[in-house]
Parts: sequence; structure tokens; C-alpha cells
Amino acid sequence: MAMRQTPLTCSGHTRPVVDLAFSDITPYGYFLISACKDGKPMLRQGDTGDWIGTFLGHKGAVWGATLNRDATKAATAAADFTAKVWDAVSGDELITLAQQDSNYLLTGGQDKLLRIYDLSKPEAEPQVVSGHTSGIKKALWSSDDKQILSADDKTVRLWDRNTMTEVKAINVSMSVSSMEYVPVGEILVITYGRTIAFHSAETLEQIKSFEAPATVNSASLHPEKEFLVAGGEDFKLYKYDYNTGEELESYKGHFGPIHCVRFSPDGELYASGSEDGTLRLWQTTVGKTYGLWKCVVPGKNFMKFENNFPILTTEDLASENSDSIYSSTPEVKA
Amino acid sequence: PAQPLTRPGHGVPVSVIRLPHGPDGTSRGFDPNSPRYQALSPISISTMGCGNEADLEREQQARVALRERYLRSLIAMVGHTIHFTMYERVSVSAFFDASDIDILNFQVSDLQTPLGVHREALLRCSDIISYTFEL
Repeated sequence: MAMRQTPLTCSGHTRPVVDLAFSDITPYGYFLISACKDGKPMLRQGDTGDWIGTFLGHKGAVWGATLNRDATKAATAAADFTAKVWDAVSGDELITLAQQDSNYLLTGGQDKLLRIYDLSKPEAEPQVVSGHTSGIKKALWSSDDKQILSADDKTVRLWDRNTMTEVKAINVSMSVSSMEYVPVGEILVITYGRTIAFHSAETLEQIKSFEAPATVNSASLHPEKEFLVAGGEDFKLYKYDYNTGEELESYKGHFGPIHCVRFSPDGELYASGSEDGTLRLWQTTVGKTYGLWKCVVPGKNFMKFENNFPILTTEDLASENSDSIYSSTPEVKA
Repeated sequence: PAQPLTRPGHGVPVSVIRLPHGPDGTSRGFDPNSPRYQALSPISISTMGCGNEADLEREQQARVALRERYLRSLIAMVGHTIHFTMYERVSVSAFFDASDIDILNFQVSDLQTPLGVHREALLRCSDIISYTFEL
């Protein structure tokens, strides 16, 4: 029986969702942070999309958000010219850190400079790395935090973190819209124009590239490297076979351009953030039981539709004395 | 609901147990009673969930009393001139009319600003640092 994807919409944001990041898998599951132009980034449980909390404090649109690996800290960057680090457990804005090991925050912005802040000494001046000739769009740690990858309008650069010098640079034909670093396999996923390109994160050499039907704003590679997903200006989400480049699935659903897509750390779902102000969760394997999705065995389950979503009802068929609110035959409304 | 373009309208939609929970609208979240919070948060931050029943009850009663006092202060403000200290070194004054239920916006009239007087205005509470008034 063919199954149709039921995306899960996570509401709460009131303006476009422009960035997303997942944490690694922690003892409490994995987490998802979303950056929104309403200035209020949100933390959600990664596999269900359930809201956990909102980081309050920014006074402008939040353009970037990320989590550390165990989701104990969040970092956000906003149009109020500040980057903030948060305790992702309590939701508090962190002013000082009470930890032995130092942690670093990397920022890059319109002033073409990369800055590295030592969070154990937040009052100290950050290390500054110059070299970009146009505003920095994206900056990431790579190679176990020994290197930095950054992109501006025309180039993607690789830096050595210790010497703070540029190791390699490549030119890009169009402005880079997104960058994702995949540690296992050292792959860099870059999008520009309608192109989704895969480069070696160590040499910056291109491995392969695909063209999408419309301008792509973000792409993400599945942890097992079987698939990639991409979304952009035509409001649609595309899933490709990474090895062959074949388009496997595509979905309408968002009401505005898609700004960001990310696979979860276990690869079971991917999240998309859109201009329409929503975050949606999509199953990698449609029909599999995972998170809030439940595999339905024909004839044994009831479904009812609420706001167009097929909700599984739990009916006790065995009890003859129970007052049944629903009819005893399954109703599936088209 | 979304439909795959490659096979329009085909197949039975995957069922879900429920929809993701959204913000509860009453707080910023980060439930102090969640297992993760209990395990990872330093004792000094969480004020609830770590004490005994009597402490929690006393704290809750204190919160109730403070909340009620604050709500009554909003009622008392109606019709008075309030002086607001805002961000960016802005100070304005206005007659207070009402607050919305979440205390996110204040409805004011005759708002005196450096640019002139606004007959009716909404002040975003997140822009306000402090306000004073005399009874």
C-alpha cells in the first residue's frame, strides 16, 4: 500500500524561519533550534517538533542559530548586532560561564571579518581573521574544530584555526546561499543559484554537483549519505539520491520560499524552515513508525481527520461495555 | 496536506499520533520539571522542583501574591499619566488605558514623544525598561 508523506508543522514563529540546526543525539534525544525574523529563536524536541522553550532577549531579527553537540548551549546571531550564547536547558542568556574547558564561538558578518570569542573569557577581545572581500554569509568549524570554513559572495575559504591563516580558497560563480559541514567523510555541502555542490572539506575540491529546478536556498546531506534534501524559491522540497543524482521525491506544502533544510542526526527526518513562518518535519522513510508518525496496519486502526491531519485514534475494540464516541467502522474522509 | 509531485494524490497519508505541541503562550518554556532540566541545570538557577513540599507551597503563595499585586497596579494605572523609560534612551509619557492579557502591549492615549503627540498608541512591553506613575 503506497503511503503519502504527512509533514508535521511546528507553529509558534510569527515571521520567516531563516535558519535551523540540530544537536547531536543526547541521552534526552536530539534537539532543534530555529532562527526567526521575529527575534525569538525556539528550541524544540528534534523527533517530535514539540516546543521546549523560546530564547528571549534579542532585539532584532535572528539570522543564525546553532546548538552545541549535547544541546546544553545555544548560540544565536541577530540584526541587533549581537551574538548571544544561551543555556539551552534553562533558556537563560549566559553572561559568564562556570566551566573548566573553554568553548569558542565563531561569528562572521557584513564587516567581512571572522571573530572567534573565547566563552570562558567573554570580556576579552575576540581573535579577528580578515581576508574576505565581501560580507561573510556563513562560517563553520570543521576538522574537529581545527579548521574554519567561511563563505562570502564570491569565495569559499578554508582557514587554519591555530595560525589564523587561509589554507585554501575557491571561487564560486554565484553568491553562496548555504553551507553544511558533514564531519564523517569531510564533505562540505554548498548551494548557490540552482546548484547543490559537494566539496571536500579538506581540499575544497568539488566532488559532484546537481542542478535543481529552481533557486536553492539550502541543502542537507543524509548522515548515511544515501540522500540529500534541498529547498528554495519555488516553495518545494526535493529529495535526491546522492549517488545517482536522481530526484526521488518532491513536496509542496510550504506557502513561501524555503530558507533552510537540515537532516536530523539520526537521518530519520528532515526539517524545513520557510518564509511562511513555519517549521515542518518530514519523514525520510514515508510510512515508518517514528516520533509522532505511526505505521498503520490496515483494518486494525482508526483514523480521524483533524484540521486535515490524519490522527490515529485509540479505540478499545475488545470492550463491549464502553460507550463508543466514534462509529465502529473505520472512517477515512478524503 | 503536502502531496508528492511525482505521484499526485496517490497513497494513504501516514497517520500521526498527534501534532507537535506549540508554545504554551504563558511562559518562555524550559520546564524546570523536565528530566533534562533536573539533571543538567545548576541548583542555583532552578527555584522550583528542588525543594520540599512546604518550600514550594510558600514560594507559590509568594508568587500568587506578587502577581495579584502587579495586576492590581495595572488597574490602578488606568487614566493616570505614566512616564516610560524605553530602550535607546527614549522617555515618553502617556495616559494608560489598558494592557493585553499577556502583558505584551500597553494601550495608551496622548502619547507624548519627541516627534509629537499620538492620540492613540500601542507600546510594546518588551521595549519598556521601566515606568512610573503617581497615584
